[in-house]
Amino acid sequence: MARRARGLSDRIFWGLCALALALVILPALAIIGSLLAQAWPALGGQLFTSTTAAHGLQNAILGSLLIVLGVLLVAGPIGILGGIYLAEFAHPRRGSLIRLGYETLAGIPSIVVGFVAYLVLDIEFHWGFSLLAGILALSAIALPYVVKTTEVALLQVPTTLRDGAVALGLSRLTALRKAVLPPALPGIASGLVVAMAICVGETAPLLYTVGFSDANPTLSLFRHPVGYLTYVVYNNTILPSNLDHQIAAAAGVVLIVLLLILIGIGRLVSRWAARYSASLPT
Amino acid sequence: MRAPLDQSGDVKMSVDDLFLGFGRRQVLHGVSAHFPKGQVTALIGPTGCGKTTLLRCLNRLHDSRPGVRIDGRVLLNGEDIYHRSTDVRELRRRVGMLFQRPNPFPQSIRENVTLGARIHGLWARGETESRAEAVLRDVGLWDAVRDRLSGTPFMLSGGQQQLLCLARALAVEPEVLLLDEPTSSLDPHSTARIEELIDSLKGRMTVVFVTHNLQQAERRADQVVFMLDGEAVEAAPARQFFAGPTDARSQAYLEGRPA
Repeated sequence: MARRARGLSDRIFWGLCALALALVILPALAIIGSLLAQAWPALGGQLFTSTTAAHGLQNAILGSLLIVLGVLLVAGPIGILGGIYLAEFAHPRRGSLIRLGYETLAGIPSIVVGFVAYLVLDIEFHWGFSLLAGILALSAIALPYVVKTTEVALLQVPTTLRDGAVALGLSRLTALRKAVLPPALPGIASGLVVAMAICVGETAPLLYTVGFSDANPTLSLFRHPVGYLTYVVYNNTILPSNLDHQIAAAAGVVLIVLLLILIGIGRLVSRWAARYSASLPT
Repeated sequence: MRAPLDQSGDVKMSVDDLFLGFGRRQVLHGVSAHFPKGQVTALIGPTGCGKTTLLRCLNRLHDSRPGVRIDGRVLLNGEDIYHRSTDVRELRRRVGMLFQRPNPFPQSIRENVTLGARIHGLWARGETESRAEAVLRDVGLWDAVRDRLSGTPFMLSGGQQQLLCLARALAVEPEVLLLDEPTSSLDPHSTARIEELIDSLKGRMTVVFVTHNLQQAERRADQVVFMLDGEAVEAAPARQFFAGPTDARSQAYLEGRPA
């Protein structure tokens, strides 16, 4: 009797788990499915060979990649160094002040970040709609994630590893490089990927700062508006023609593929970084 | 109070009236002890008596801990290691340490052994490989790792990992080796191996080890320091101590009675 009751509660529990899993996966599948269905007629080589002026996405894809690369170069090093500083070197009181700073930054709505960047960089500095203004605005959004994940990844490294390095007479920097950082790298890499993914998907800050252009982006940082994918999704949806709607959906598909590629790269980097850390001492 | 000291022979390290506290918690209450040169000393005592805390004072491993207060003197070859002029990294090279759990670096097996020697500039460029091999042979790990020096140390068994950590510590040619319950997480075979190595170091290195295993202390130590509540209650030659300690509290501990 008791055994049968236990079997029943087991089954109910597993049923609820399966239901929760379905609730997580089904919406994702539904979104991807409907996107693909809408984008289907427009999916083809011309997306990559023509610009948005000719029902392609070339300029938007290049622009999005350029912006994300810029954010990686700006927010990556600053965020990682900031996280290392907080986890390894900061005095507790100063650390909590900096934490308050980036937590506040993380809480500011992205459209507000974009607006401020627009006022300061585009207007006050006379940069106009420009690549750099967009990169800096998105970097302000990405930075808290990178700092936080770096700090958390480092704090999870077992103390005994630090002790071992220090007890060998290594400097703090060597100890960090050889003992503490390697096991933290997968965490840091996935933090970077999440930050990049957020940036690929941002629209509002870019509307303010980089504007939009039908032409392929150049490498000039100032006074040249740049096209990007989320703008196409946003803008083409309100255009009248069916083809425009298909292009908007196609831009969505490309965004998702970009995200998958980013996640894939993140996993590869993590695996490489963890090659000696198969299992760590606890 | 001061423990009675065995003054025979050269003293390699000594602790003189050492007080240590973390914030409001006082851990060591005026510990004094001598560690004779080339001999093996076992630090024993109940959990929380300050054995590990004392051990970590001997290579200043408490330095970076926030809120730590240390008062008193720790001498290495008669010089105070807490003096302002001490080169702490060189001190830690001279006073090596093996920890309770194996903690190899997340680097290749080769790098684990060679890193310390390279950083401290001990080995000439061309002799790295042969010196690394010699150290790995010393700890009896060479045959197990010779074909995977470039591989991760975490594929090794726990006992082998601990031997690798010992090789890492020995590679920088320390004068004193501190061991913090080095076999508590190991199987009997690896334990025996580590103990044999401790034996083989006698004479050329001063060894201080913390253990909860009284048989181990009796087997391997020349001298025993018994600690209780942050004090060194008794220090005596191991044979004498285990034959019959002079302090009633040591006696009680050996018999498993509360002091």
